[in-house]
Amino acid sequence: MIREAKSRFKNVAALWSMGKDSTAMLSIARKAFLGKVPFPVIHIDNSIDFPETYQFRENLERMWKLDLIVEKSKIKPNLSGAACCGANKSAALKKVMSKYGFDALIVSIRRDEHAIRAKERYMSPRDEHFRWNYRDQPAEMWGDYSQSPDSKGHIRVHPLLDFNEIDIWQYIQKNKVPVNPLYFSRNGFRYRSLGCTRCTSPVRSNANNVKEIIKELETTTVEERSGRDQDKEQEYSMQKLRELGYM
Amino acid sequence: MRINRIVVLGNKDHGKSTIIGSMLIATKSVSEERVKEARRQSKRLGKRFEPGFILDSFSAEREGGLTIDASMAQIKYRDSAFELIDVPGHEELIKNMVSGASYAKFAILAVSAKRSEGICPQTKRHVFLAKMLGINNIIVAVNKMDTVGYSESRFNELKHELCIFLDRIGIESKNVKFVPISAYNSDNLASVSKNIRWHSGKSLLEEMRILSKHGNDAASDGNLRVILQGSMMHGTDSLLIGNVASGTVKAGSMVRILPIGTASRISTLFVKGQKRRYANAGENVAIKLDSQVSADLRGAVVYNYDYKNANVANHLDALIFMTKKIKVGVSIKFNGIELNGKVKIKTVIDTADGSENGPKHEQPLNAAVVRIELEHGVPAEPFNSSKELGRFVLYQAGKFSGIGIISSVSK
Repeated sequence: MIREAKSRFKNVAALWSMGKDSTAMLSIARKAFLGKVPFPVIHIDNSIDFPETYQFRENLERMWKLDLIVEKSKIKPNLSGAACCGANKSAALKKVMSKYGFDALIVSIRRDEHAIRAKERYMSPRDEHFRWNYRDQPAEMWGDYSQSPDSKGHIRVHPLLDFNEIDIWQYIQKNKVPVNPLYFSRNGFRYRSLGCTRCTSPVRSNANNVKEIIKELETTTVEERSGRDQDKEQEYSMQKLRELGYM
Repeated sequence: MRINRIVVLGNKDHGKSTIIGSMLIATKSVSEERVKEARRQSKRLGKRFEPGFILDSFSAEREGGLTIDASMAQIKYRDSAFELIDVPGHEELIKNMVSGASYAKFAILAVSAKRSEGICPQTKRHVFLAKMLGINNIIVAVNKMDTVGYSESRFNELKHELCIFLDRIGIESKNVKFVPISAYNSDNLASVSKNIRWHSGKSLLEEMRILSKHGNDAASDGNLRVILQGSMMHGTDSLLIGNVASGTVKAGSMVRILPIGTASRISTLFVKGQKRRYANAGENVAIKLDSQVSADLRGAVVYNYDYKNANVANHLDALIFMTKKIKVGVSIKFNGIELNGKVKIKTVIDTADGSENGPKHEQPLNAAVVRIELEHGVPAEPFNSSKELGRFVLYQAGKFSGIGIISSVSK
């Protein structure tokens, strides 16, 4: 799918949050293109990510020779959760998309993360305001992802839709993909899903390495994004976020 | 563990989402939080607990009580894993149904036993489409048995009516399993229900498990076909990239590329970033040839040099299914490339009863046998020798408007 995006669209970029999913996606892209990531990777930086996340970004940028674009977003002090993500991250993404004229954006979402994400297409058009027309999505027959972006919009490419959380960790284990150390347990807690420092909280866990995380996931009944505030406020907050162009 | 993709088909309100939701709960394949969330939403909307809300996540779907777009959910049952595809049952959402069903290997057909519901035109249309998509293995779940007092005669009546239709469209009804269920009450989903003692068969999940182990996969004939996405640069070399649709591609072998007709030897083969001696069906490959090819190779096909049936076709005889009335010319997408051609309708088929009519003006949501005359030849094949090269997608004014299955090809 990553090759398909690269061969169909003129100007492809990928979002990289330095989390496990988008890092695994970059590892897959390096394989598909025989050792290099052939498109720029965008970090929407609200300046309040964890220090470990910034360190990880620096290390991997050097190691994998990434063409990294950092776009600063502004946190508004009076907003939190879904409203905050919607306002600052989406606005910064719009800015960077129009600045570079990207017509396709690779986003590493997975179906099992959220019931709304389970409704996504592999390649999904967004209009110039980044709106997702979920009521009339294009057909994707037999891998024919033929939709083109409209003149001002872009196509979201979702190569990891089929992966489950545990598949990502198994991929990371098999391919020895570097990951942010925040995923591993410290003092009985670890981050299972990573956002910024303000809205992400760790979950109880003693999993200290990739193998232990996989073991933990085989039996857990807790939602992966239970440590993410923006999913909880309202039942439909994710739908609203996605309609507004959130990744 | 291999995951079997199963689409759940059937008319609107016959319980497709409820069946999947209830199976997710019965097999503990969904987190408690998601079940709680579905419970809260059911209550908020003043409804009885609706397990379908686990899948119907859009606000409009819950408030309207319908599935708008396809969703997928994984279920683990004993030693098997299934990915269930929930699709909309409404006529106007058939595009989303076809799109969702195109990923499936098997189908479950939901039919409501309720007196006012039963077998509807849309029930038959879904089966017709499943057959067209190459899904020959179907389990029929006769749902809402609680509303008819678990009546055996109602079950047999529906079974009899559906068997006639299945045989008419070419699905052997004697191989189709029928399971009486109630998705709301979890009767016969994961275990055999005490309410339906007259049923000698197994539970729905058990039938799914058996089918996934023994159901034959309508595989291709095993000849090499690599469908190309285009090319990419690796240093100064131009590599062909694509997916092995069938057969095995080997480094060092002689191949022929159609429609351009170039023959060459594969000098190097890459899979997942590594050099490899061979690659099997399903794998994505990058191919370096001895001779460089400069043509645009998107949609082209790599065959073994000595494969005799590799041909370029200008005429396609096909069965098409349309979701829209043809008003302007249709365009045909084949392997991701657009083809120009004329579509001539020979016979119209009413998908709701399987009957055939002459070449009258076609109705939307109907099927037709057509002959397509292409401006430029493509490496097409009949669907029964290659699924991937035997099908196409129809577009009208840039919008999806149907699908086609090729029965024969000629120059």
